[in-house]
Amino acid sequence: MPNRDLTLPHLPMNDRIARELDHQWSKVWDLAIPSDPFIGTEFIKNVLDELELLNWPDRDRFAIHMSLEEAIMNAIKHGNCQQTDKQVLIDARISAAKFYIRVTDEGPGFNPHDVPDPTLEENLTKTSGRGLKLMRIYMNFVVYNSVGNQVELLKIRQD
Amino acid sequence: MSEFECIDVRDASEVSIVRLVDEKVMDPQRVQKLGEELLTLPKIKPGRILINMSNVKFLSSAAINKLLILEKRLSKQGGRIKFSNLRPEVQEVFNITNLNSVFDICEAEEDAIEELRSNT
Repeated sequence: MPNRDLTLPHLPMNDRIARELDHQWSKVWDLAIPSDPFIGTEFIKNVLDELELLNWPDRDRFAIHMSLEEAIMNAIKHGNCQQTDKQVLIDARISAAKFYIRVTDEGPGFNPHDVPDPTLEENLTKTSGRGLKLMRIYMNFVVYNSVGNQVELLKIRQD
Repeated sequence: MSEFECIDVRDASEVSIVRLVDEKVMDPQRVQKLGEELLTLPKIKPGRILINMSNVKFLSSAAINKLLILEKRLSKQGGRIKFSNLRPEVQEVFNITNLNSVFDICEAEEDAIEELRSNT
């Protein structure tokens, strides 16, 4: 039986993001990829190439790279446990001014509020939670659905 | 030929200088390989290690975790580790995540070597 969340229409979860999505995009990706880190990495490279073509500044490209890496690898590794029969759905859009992505996995989801803050003294040497923290710092918006198996990221060009 | 793919190791009296080879430490297989190679260091170079990060333009949190595990492993056995030559964007990642308070970071390789030799 397919994960129920994968059958939902592509509705944005957050009104502010919905407003930002009303935009003239240069390129749109609507993909379902197997839970293979190498395929995830190939997609990330494609996005980085597009950002370069659109002359996004280095700092923003780094921010998007970092956040994409975390969102997609989390979906592949932690959400779908690298089971290649499980898919990761990717809806991504890019223009010279904005970058948006929604990543959905077939896992049971998680509660992002349960993830310990890796910057607190007691968590500094733990190896979890750092990716989520980095996404929140580098992106303008990071929104999880109620199940916790879908994340939306939005970056607005800074220069 | 070096026994490593992801790191370059050379000795400078009392200190092992380790350079990360890749500019972008992100491909899962390379991150895994990097972790394996780094974890051989406490066995073959148990004393003082300097990680020169000058090549590194990007590293994922998975790659950061490999550095953290090395730091823990080496500290546990009484060794010391320092990092040097971080590019500003990598330094920012360490600052954002407060890892600058876990990792001992120097600007220049020679300063880090000197501090490691003098135990400061």
